[in-house]
Amino acid sequence: MNIPKRLGWIPGGIALAVLIWFTFSTIGADRPIGASTGIAYMGAWFFGLQNSEYFQHIKNSGSWEVIFLIGVLIGGFLTSVFITKTFKFRILPPLWKKHKNNSPASRLIWSFIGGFMVVFGARLAGGCTSGHFLSGASQTAVSGLLFGGIVIVVLILTGRLFYKNL
Amino acid sequence: MNFNIVEFFNQTIDLIHKQHHGSIPLILFIGILFGVIIQWSRVDTFDKIAGFAMLHGFKVPKMLFFSIGIASIGLYFMIKMGWAHYHIKPIVLGGILIGGVIFAIGMAILGLCPGTGPVAVSEGNMDVLTGLIGGLLAGALFTYLYPDLKSIIGPNFGKVTLTQLVNHDWFIFIYGALLIFIAFWLPEREVEEEVGEI
Repeated sequence: MNIPKRLGWIPGGIALAVLIWFTFSTIGADRPIGASTGIAYMGAWFFGLQNSEYFQHIKNSGSWEVIFLIGVLIGGFLTSVFITKTFKFRILPPLWKKHKNNSPASRLIWSFIGGFMVVFGARLAGGCTSGHFLSGASQTAVSGLLFGGIVIVVLILTGRLFYKNL
Repeated sequence: MNFNIVEFFNQTIDLIHKQHHGSIPLILFIGILFGVIIQWSRVDTFDKIAGFAMLHGFKVPKMLFFSIGIASIGLYFMIKMGWAHYHIKPIVLGGILIGGVIFAIGMAILGLCPGTGPVAVSEGNMDVLTGLIGGLLAGALFTYLYPDLKSIIGPNFGKVTLTQLVNHDWFIFIYGALLIFIAFWLPEREVEEEVGEI
């Protein structure tokens, strides 16, 4: 049997919906999917902030999401090696080369800044694409829909302003 | 700073055992499936996510809207049957507005978000690894500054859902159908796939 090398958005979307159901269900984890709390939890732990108010506030969600993200790394790695065959060490994304520049140093610095903003912003908002949008909007949560709306508008605006030769 | 990984995992696993949100193997299983789905659909790439920011390709929003549309209808009835519970995040207006803007600018630049980022790292994107390090620092700084940031994050308008506001079963079908419609309505255009280089 030949397994397809890529999933289209329809099978991918259905699979993701089933995973949301399973994660929410009482036979699953009885909680939503989330990722940014896990990263904040790890960062705060490494910097010895376990006794701070915020760490105490997020330690349950954060610890769950750390284990979740380890699973994500395993699943992503195995799929990239055995199914999509895309595993390769690299720095410059093709689209960055086309619309920004040719410099690995510039890409690494901007990635650092971008990653910093993504997690800081997600913690201010109380969630990210997974927590607010995927899990939140699936429950028709106003907070998630508001976050999703703002993110789509600002994402496209930044795309216009930050990149060139569009 | 404390990089004692053994101590980190001991404490993390301990915290999970005190909750009722699944065993370690179950959580790992959910994570693995998430990684497989995201990687297999290739929505874990800079080209797909920043490509959407540049309006070159729409696979990411199509898959997201489609998935939420289907999930919302099923989840509504699962909750009604008692097979699942609501887990609603509060409307912290300042936090969502300011955080949403910062998050989105970062997402357009990094080309990834906290869930898809680790998938990109797992297939060898070293640039995203520096993004992850930036994210860890941001998490620590946010934790440190939290007492001062609280006034920006509030006011809290509570945990509100549209289904609560409308309070009729039919609403969830309209909501789900609308999201699925948006998924089909968005252009089929996709960024052509190339493997990046060092």
